Amino acid sequence: MSTAMLRPLHLALGSVGLLIFSATSLAETPQTTARMLPENRKFLETHCFECHNADKQKGKVRLDDLALEITEIPTAERWQKVLAALNSGEMPPEDAKQPSAPDKAGFLEKLSKQMVIARKALSDSGGVITMRRLNRREYVYTIRELLDVEVNPFDLPSDEAPGTFDTVGSGLFFSSDQFAQYLKLARNALDQAIVTGKPAPKQQVRIEVEQKANESARTDLKAARASIQKVAQWRKSGGTSPEFNDEPHASTNESLARGRETVALAYLKDPATLTGRFPKLDIEHFQIPGNLPPGRYILRARVAFPPDAPHVSNLNMTPLLGPRPWLTGGEPRFVEFGTQGDQGWPIEMKLLGCHQVKGTLEKAEIIEQPVVLTKGSPRIFALRERRPNGQADLNYFWYYKAPQRSKHEFGFWRGLWIDWVEWEGPLETQWPPESHQLALGEVDLTANPGDEQARDILQNFASRAFRGRQPTADFMERLMGHFAERRKAGEPFEQAIKTPLAIILASPKFLYIVEPVEREALAVAQTVPASFTATPTTPPAASPAGATKRVPLSDAELANRLSYFLWSSPPDERLLSFASSGKLKDPKVLAAEANRMLADEKVMRFVSGFTHQWLHMTRLDFFQFNWRLYPLFDGSLKAAARREVFETLRTVLDENLPLGTLLKSDFVVVNDILADFYDIPGVEGSAFRKVSVPAGIPRGGLLSMAAILAMGSDGERSSLVERGAWVLRKLLHDPPPPAPANVPQLSRFAGKLLPARELMTAHQEQPQCAQCHRRIDPIGFALEHFDATGRWRTEEYTEVYKIHKAVEKKQFFPIDSSGRLPDGTPFDGFEGLRDAVAKHEANFARGLTEHLVEYALGRPCGFSDAELVETVLQKSKPQRYTPRSLIQALIASKEFQSK
Amino acid sequence: MNSPLNRRHFLRNASVCIALPFLESVGFRRFASAATLAPRPKRMIFLAMGWGVTNETWYPDPKQTGAEWTLSEGLKPLAAFQKDITVVQNTFHKHSSDAHSCSTFWLTGANRYGIPGRSFHNTISVDQVAAEQFGQDTRFGSLAFSNPGGEGGHGSAVSWNRQGKPVADLSDPVAVFHKLFSDEKTPLSERKAQLQREQSVLDTVLIEAKDTARGLSREDTDKLNEYLESIREIEIRLAKEEQWLTVPKVKPTQSITEPGKGLSGEQEVKLMYDLMVAAFQTDATRVISYRQPVQSLLRSRGYNLDGHNMSHYSMGPRMEASQARDKCQSELTAYLIQKLKATKEPDGSSLFDHVSVALGSNVRTAHQLDNCPLLLTGRGAGIKLGHHLVMPDPKTPLCNVWLSLLHGVGVRPPSFGDSTGILDALMA
Repeated sequence: MSTAMLRPLHLALGSVGLLIFSATSLAETPQTTARMLPENRKFLETHCFECHNADKQKGKVRLDDLALEITEIPTAERWQKVLAALNSGEMPPEDAKQPSAPDKAGFLEKLSKQMVIARKALSDSGGVITMRRLNRREYVYTIRELLDVEVNPFDLPSDEAPGTFDTVGSGLFFSSDQFAQYLKLARNALDQAIVTGKPAPKQQVRIEVEQKANESARTDLKAARASIQKVAQWRKSGGTSPEFNDEPHASTNESLARGRETVALAYLKDPATLTGRFPKLDIEHFQIPGNLPPGRYILRARVAFPPDAPHVSNLNMTPLLGPRPWLTGGEPRFVEFGTQGDQGWPIEMKLLGCHQVKGTLEKAEIIEQPVVLTKGSPRIFALRERRPNGQADLNYFWYYKAPQRSKHEFGFWRGLWIDWVEWEGPLETQWPPESHQLALGEVDLTANPGDEQARDILQNFASRAFRGRQPTADFMERLMGHFAERRKAGEPFEQAIKTPLAIILASPKFLYIVEPVEREALAVAQTVPASFTATPTTPPAASPAGATKRVPLSDAELANRLSYFLWSSPPDERLLSFASSGKLKDPKVLAAEANRMLADEKVMRFVSGFTHQWLHMTRLDFFQFNWRLYPLFDGSLKAAARREVFETLRTVLDENLPLGTLLKSDFVVVNDILADFYDIPGVEGSAFRKVSVPAGIPRGGLLSMAAILAMGSDGERSSLVERGAWVLRKLLHDPPPPAPANVPQLSRFAGKLLPARELMTAHQEQPQCAQCHRRIDPIGFALEHFDATGRWRTEEYTEVYKIHKAVEKKQFFPIDSSGRLPDGTPFDGFEGLRDAVAKHEANFARGLTEHLVEYALGRPCGFSDAELVETVLQKSKPQRYTPRSLIQALIASKEFQSK
Repeated sequence: MNSPLNRRHFLRNASVCIALPFLESVGFRRFASAATLAPRPKRMIFLAMGWGVTNETWYPDPKQTGAEWTLSEGLKPLAAFQKDITVVQNTFHKHSSDAHSCSTFWLTGANRYGIPGRSFHNTISVDQVAAEQFGQDTRFGSLAFSNPGGEGGHGSAVSWNRQGKPVADLSDPVAVFHKLFSDEKTPLSERKAQLQREQSVLDTVLIEAKDTARGLSREDTDKLNEYLESIREIEIRLAKEEQWLTVPKVKPTQSITEPGKGLSGEQEVKLMYDLMVAAFQTDATRVISYRQPVQSLLRSRGYNLDGHNMSHYSMGPRMEASQARDKCQSELTAYLIQKLKATKEPDGSSLFDHVSVALGSNVRTAHQLDNCPLLLTGRGAGIKLGHHLVMPDPKTPLCNVWLSLLHGVGVRPPSFGDSTGILDALMA
């Protein structure tokens, strides 16, 4: 356990290390060129030149001609090699004279900091925004706005990549099969949008679940009795028949069969099974027939829990979860709705919702789950008692390990009880649906439409889809050609029109956000020159020096940029009308429109899309959480924890609160299961709402959120390095350099039980480790009262495994949570760290602003943006950097309105 | 609870077998003289084993090199084929800096940050270099197999084209099967019309692309070129399809069964190996890459763990899983070797004599990016087999191996990626 403990913490940094911003505070002018000092050259001279000079180039490495100024990629690569060789301890060679620890640490600190600057400088696009296609999120939302239908985009690349945003054009490619995917998705969307005939009547189908369950129990009973019979016969035969090897074999079989008999009998004898089913730890599934149209449906179930129902978190699988005394009136009970996911069905399901259930066997409760069916989406749905996904062996724990089991004479998992399940739909009342009109306009299919109507439809749809740009006449002619060809092939009007409509949705003016500059037209090569070298065909992007002058966006382009920034979808009618009347550039109108959009529900697309990438929340999915140690941190909780981050930012945005609220607040935005996780009483229902933090509960602010804390773990133990680096990077805007690869494992810790804090002392032993870890680790210490999933703990638990899942030894350690910030501020524990971090609101605002620039403009935020960032911050400062004021200041900037 | 929904489980157990063709009878072989047969084409397979291996138990002892070496724990299932495999240690990609890019750069060796102002950059992969030469005469220039879910990195691709863009891959064995062997049901005239319609769609969007290009900056034009490149690739595919329209797909003489749906893990990999061998045997293609599944492989061995968790193992369940996965991979490799050897070519040799197989990862384990695990087999590239090579320089470019394999099969680019030359020690 312990050997790897250092490693994952350490190296996982590499993944996020690429998102680098300079380590400057507000006070100093940022350094924009990476530059090593003459004294650093001295270091190289003393320790490296002997083997790496003009005459002798050991390992083909020459260092005496290495430029101190790092302005080009080849130079950066050579310095990176030096950094790696020193970091790994590979150089200087063992038999050579070694630099002193302070010398080495000093040199490495300087070099790693310069490399951070170099990377930022080299990734500076000089304000050039590369044209980009819609990313996957935007594609889905754009289709939704255009046609009011949902598509499943999973054939498209996800576009989220480490260290950048999915809005940055230079990183979004177009692979060879993507064109075909777009055509297919468009066709799917149009098949859903355009309807013929009569609406499908609404149905309500209820399934009584007990009959099948009881049949199955009776089958079990029969099988168990047959086994018992078989053993009896074998014994009667004197053990000569071949069914069993010997008496122990036979009696094992007998006792298992008796167990099954007892369970089945108990199940059938239970009066509640006369009218319903106990699914135990299984699922209850049902299906909406495939011939029903896509649309909105509702799933329902009548459910209850017996008062003494067992609880997954109380299986006593874990030594970490003590009794939860704040719970009065029993454990809260939850039921999950789900559907078939990518893998592992039915053990794993894709969760749709999690509902608290208070119904009793006497007075059961009806729960509801709305769903939207799309073409090709799964039609099988299920519900189950809330539990960790993928854990078929929970049953094993129940039958063989759980001490509570003896208390239940029934022997079966008498938890969730289901009376019936039902589905209802489609719920659409309008016919033809909105989508039909969005695709075809006012054209009446029953009035025998012809070419003229087809042309109108295509012209209107192309104008809408192209967001203010017009289709060419040639293009329109060819679209009509496709339509005519399909008609000739015998397709009815509404079918034939789909082919040209789909082509519109696979055209560059739809797929790309185009902002042309009125300069001399640049001819595009009609054929792609085939290059036969391994070098890229595209030349490097323009350097900052060669950057062209920016010109203002047109009104329509400004509307697009604003709308894709805040809604990830095209402008609505109101915004378009301001654009077409030329009023949008009026600063007052623009600000009012931005405020309107920020208040709209659609802003959640920005909040979740941006925040997920800004805070690097993909890390939440990097590791699976050990369900044995953390049974409460299941799929539903993880989803709620992720959502808490977004909902909190949304609240701060809506209420126009100071940015520092995200660092420290006296409220949390949670739902029922998260409140349960945080030990906050009195929160009912799965909706998120603002709740005051009760006294003594250590929550409020990003640092205390389960998602953020869980990201700082490997699913087994908390990672104080990961947490410390995250705080430096995301909150204090003082990022440490990326962790070096190939750090050797510390095998001397193998098989030893040690607290995390003690393991970290290893980081102080080598100067190359100490230079960063002395800044990172102490921050992590403060959060040690949160376990790997972000639950509060009073002791740290560690265990050492033998093979085959057996715990060899385990131990609890007291927690020391004192530490200090890099600037020397000492703190004690979580609250102390939170107070210390909260004082750095300005740094936090700077980091956020740089990320907003990158996300909104779709290009890296480089040194050339210093002025823009400064302007935004100065404007927003009097309002305590409320996210709304930051966004407004950015929108008002010249850069946001230029191309 | 016997869930009727658990079809997946049922299908996993249903035996699915692809009967391999037996075109060449013993008698035929006896009378066929070498002179009348064209030399057998070379083929290449690249198997990306994401997330690395178990550091402690996969690598053979570095002190035992050359032809005398003992199989490591993780390679033991290959005991019967020790003379047919070569393990290479101490190679790496010098530009690798980020383990979470997974197999994205394994076959390319590119520098992700090679172009200023861009957050991602890649170059052509070794299999595609070979495909440019080998793909001329076959129905499919190359095939890229993947697995559903992708499991990390920049998309699911392990193969990258000349422009450094991902090559479309196939992740469903059923789709692979149909692509390779299924008869077209539509009549020829209808298929011709279909190709024309597809071409016509491309012509239509090209009009808009040209119009879009007006007024674009150079960077934007480059971006639009990506769109055009993708159109162009479809055109090439259509042209090739047209060229092969009248040529029936070569089918095995014995019946070939369509694979069951929903196979996963070990069964899925085996099936993909069967399909690879069948594709080579019928000369449908000569170059195949395969990004192998990890999570489902672990699942089929009873470990409910994903690849990332596995690679960050420590003593205990995660390490056990990692070791089980190594073993499983070795068993599957043995299965592939046995299959390649058993498949005869018209001249009496075996497929194994003409194929070059590379199995490996650009991650050693967790975030270790040096000493990449690499296992080579097949006689196609003329490399030494039965050897354990530990390169004296721990920074030997993995691209040197790729260059050596290319030259070995008769593709002779002057260099590849960051290669510095052919590895003489590797060549027989």
